[in-house]
Amino acid sequence: MSDGAAAAPTHVARRRSATRRRLRRLDTKLSPYLYIAPFFVLFGIFGIFPLLYTAWVSLTDRNLLAPTSSFIGLQNYSELLRDEYFWNAVVNTLGIWVLSTVPQLVLALVIAHVLNRSLRVRTFFRMSVLLPQVTSLVAVALIFTQLFGYRYGLVNYLLNQVGIENVNWEAGRLSSWIALSTMVTWRWVGYNALLYLAAMQSIPDELYEASAVDGARSWRQFIHVTVPMIRPTIIFTVIISTIGGLQLFTEPFLFQPVKSGSTGGSGRQYQTVSMYLYEKAFGGTQFDFGYAAAIAWCLFLLIAVISFVNYLLVRTIRSADA
Amino acid sequence: MGSKVSGRRQRRRIVAAALVVATVAGTGYAATTAAGKEQAQQVTLTVSLFGDFGYHDLYKQYEESHPGVTIKESIQDYAVHHSNLAKSVATGAGAADVEAIEVGFIAQFKAQPTRFVNLRQYGAGALKDRWLPWKWQQGLGSKGEIVGLGTDVGSLAICYRRDLFQKAGLPTNRTAVSKLWPTWQAFVETGKRFQAKAPKGVTFFDSGSNVYNAMIGQVNPAYYDRSGKVIVASNPKVKAAWDLTMLAIGAGESAGFAAFSNDWNTGYKKGSFATVTCPAWMMGYIQGQAPATKGKWDIALTPGTGGNWGGSYLAVPAQSKNAAAAADLVKFLTSPAAEAYVFKQTGNLPSQPALLKSKAVSGFKNPFFNNAPVGQIFATSALRLKPQVIGPQQGAIQTASSNAIQRVEQKKQTPAKSWAQFLKDVKALS
Amino acid sequence: MSIVPYRLRTSARPRRSRGHDRAGPLTYVGLLLLVAFSVFPLYWSFVVASHDNSALGAYPPVLTPGGNFRENVDRLFNAGIVNVDFAKALVNSAIVASVVTLSVVFFSALAGFAFAKLSFRGSKLLFVVVIATLIVPVQLGVIPLYIEMIHFGWINRLQAVIAPFLVTAFGVFLMRQYISGAVPNELIDAARVDGCHTMRVFWHVVLPAVRPIAAVLGLLTFMNTWNDFFWPLIVLTPHNPTVQVAVSTLAGSAYVPDYALILSGTFVSILPLLAVFLVLGKQIVGGIMKGAVKG
Repeated sequence: MSDGAAAAPTHVARRRSATRRRLRRLDTKLSPYLYIAPFFVLFGIFGIFPLLYTAWVSLTDRNLLAPTSSFIGLQNYSELLRDEYFWNAVVNTLGIWVLSTVPQLVLALVIAHVLNRSLRVRTFFRMSVLLPQVTSLVAVALIFTQLFGYRYGLVNYLLNQVGIENVNWEAGRLSSWIALSTMVTWRWVGYNALLYLAAMQSIPDELYEASAVDGARSWRQFIHVTVPMIRPTIIFTVIISTIGGLQLFTEPFLFQPVKSGSTGGSGRQYQTVSMYLYEKAFGGTQFDFGYAAAIAWCLFLLIAVISFVNYLLVRTIRSADA
Repeated sequence: MGSKVSGRRQRRRIVAAALVVATVAGTGYAATTAAGKEQAQQVTLTVSLFGDFGYHDLYKQYEESHPGVTIKESIQDYAVHHSNLAKSVATGAGAADVEAIEVGFIAQFKAQPTRFVNLRQYGAGALKDRWLPWKWQQGLGSKGEIVGLGTDVGSLAICYRRDLFQKAGLPTNRTAVSKLWPTWQAFVETGKRFQAKAPKGVTFFDSGSNVYNAMIGQVNPAYYDRSGKVIVASNPKVKAAWDLTMLAIGAGESAGFAAFSNDWNTGYKKGSFATVTCPAWMMGYIQGQAPATKGKWDIALTPGTGGNWGGSYLAVPAQSKNAAAAADLVKFLTSPAAEAYVFKQTGNLPSQPALLKSKAVSGFKNPFFNNAPVGQIFATSALRLKPQVIGPQQGAIQTASSNAIQRVEQKKQTPAKSWAQFLKDVKALS
Repeated sequence: MSIVPYRLRTSARPRRSRGHDRAGPLTYVGLLLLVAFSVFPLYWSFVVASHDNSALGAYPPVLTPGGNFRENVDRLFNAGIVNVDFAKALVNSAIVASVVTLSVVFFSALAGFAFAKLSFRGSKLLFVVVIATLIVPVQLGVIPLYIEMIHFGWINRLQAVIAPFLVTAFGVFLMRQYISGAVPNELIDAARVDGCHTMRVFWHVVLPAVRPIAAVLGLLTFMNTWNDFFWPLIVLTPHNPTVQVAVSTLAGSAYVPDYALILSGTFVSILPLLAVFLVLGKQIVGGIMKGAVKG
């Protein structure tokens, strides 16, 4: 901060201000890099090495238990592309992702919109939608496998009351996807709703008032004011949900019957790519780490491609500038 | 600005909180390193298990007779324990001095014998005759290295519900019941008899996989031949076991549960199935899951020869820094006295014939199971079992077979299609 | 984010609630259903934790609490029975989650500020790289990361579950989005004119402004770190556990899992989280409502 330099001789003052100007310039130039450095340093240590290591391992036939391994080039990848279980996992992953992401984000938008209004006991409602995030995964797994049990699950019990026969949720393909999507939606809808709510809170009232003057009711305001104004947050959640959804592992893994390995059901009906990776690397008796590394890299590519496509798609939502 | 003042206070609070956390963390860190230095003069042996093996008092005993040795035990979930072991073995760090390996995983760990201390170096070879032959065999590497010493065995019997048998017009006395099924064919035939008069919603057995695995356990050779080759596709005995299982499922004898699933647990309470292949530890399971069925159960022998489901080994990873001490501890924990003690504590069946024939085991009766002489029955089954050649992919083949059977029970594939896929999966393993 | 021109307010006025937009009874019914749906699994885990082991498989399902809760919790903290120091696990988790949360919020705000408001060469490209790091699947890095932990000597130490998570791309992303919208350039320019160097601008202008999103990010980070399951299982042992490792130990009864005990463990492990949740939750709502600098 400026000090009273009136008493000092002018040449000292000039040198002082020159140094200060140089420091100021250094500060403006260097501080951005300094500020982003922690992230990149940490990623360099804990992110880059695993990436490169896994890339290397994917070109070998490394088995976790065997003492030696040899370079085999792209053999893992060519085998992977011909592997029907890999493509099965890709289909499962995409299917579960669509079922669990699209309704979830729409629901989150609606919930945020509702929570944004004047409500009594507002705090209570806003916080209770986050409770699924607080519940531990062990409990979630136990509870949802009970809920969707075939003969004795609560969901089938309720369906029976309205005359619908038992559905073998875990056994079928689409049914297991629905059960898993319910699990994922339950867990994440509050999280996304909160993000939307935070974004909605920064929309100026004037916009709503202006549109109300134009005769728009709540729903039209939602479509024409709210959604365009929070478009960046929507893009953000779509990308995060895409990345998380395509990497889905925990929910389907815990949905399996205990001690049944990592196959995602007797017919691999809900085995995601991450689960297939885990099966090859750790599950059962294979420990085929080279192959698993190749799966990991293919997953990486898949996520990159689909995230980009999603980004392009969501951008077509009319932006606030339009 | 009004917000600036509260903002500063807020920030101060955050900084204060950060300082508190840092101090706590720092003191905790300092305390643990200080404690670590103290123990460096003694030997601390770490033991890693996947369940309560009942060793607590045994540790105390060992520590008293071996001053300077401290034993620290840790338990982790079954799946986590074994995948962590694989990871530790692969990266050369992180394994305990003594590691428990369950029978489902012993095959692939012993396929890499160099990763473990060969206990022959510490005189374990002289102890061979203590154990059941098949149990001893399973712990050996391909060149005879002693990778693991046996702890308990699951053995196998058939637990059945007397009241459901009575309702279906079958005998309920356990000797008579054991006579009903000298072979597995007879078992399936009995099932047909049962289904003809069974109460609604009740099936003869719980899961096709359990029955199939019991059958395969008695077959020799099964999945592997002596040279270590996988012979699933060409072995007629494997196909015979499969076909018989399919026959039973087709006759409606299976409830189609996956073992350890929620539905299976509830099935015990609801009496949805009349028999279940029963290792010794299953008794505790049934008692915990369905306490209201006390006295309604009884136990009979399995068809054919004996059987086994479960049981473990103790091994010393090669990376251990206290190999000699660890090997000594392993010999102690698997000694006859120790295994007898464990049997009293937890009911885990010893893997040693002398103990199986002892009064303690053979005299053991279980009131929950209609006072059946369970010690005798399980001992008989364990003693009757013959050694079987197993190979590294044993567990994966078993998982593939369980999935294949489930697919049929869930009516997703015909037996023929499921068998074809099973063979394909087995082929992909090599 | 495009900023619609608005007047710069010099005083923070509380948002007028939109009177014309009051919620009707149907809305309340829907919200109550939503709350029931969200709370039910948590409630039910308490129900199971308050019965004995056979309750989980009962049919029709047990829906009301039983009387065994005290007993199960006592068993939980009795190290002789459960073979893990559950109290220590709670303390460890608290330490880990707190350190990670504070670090993530601070460093994400720092980096987000740089990306949002400071111009420097390569900022666009570097930001894309930040987003790209989100794509790396977690399962990929387990073995190499474990090898690194061996090299650093962090196996079974809390550093192993803290260090890799001190800054996250998610946090940077979130902060950048928020800061570019909620912190007007005019304020920063004004501070600069006053002679503030960049760190002071950050400390006095940006940090107060990001309180709402910092509370959100802090809460989410705390919860995620507390609930982190797979990595602590790999790198810690039951001798120095976090709460999830401890729960896994409870589940590790070889053949006969004691569900009542396990769910007691998970329920107790949630309580500190709930406490943080309730405290910070009010902050979020309060912060969002006040909206320190907006227009």
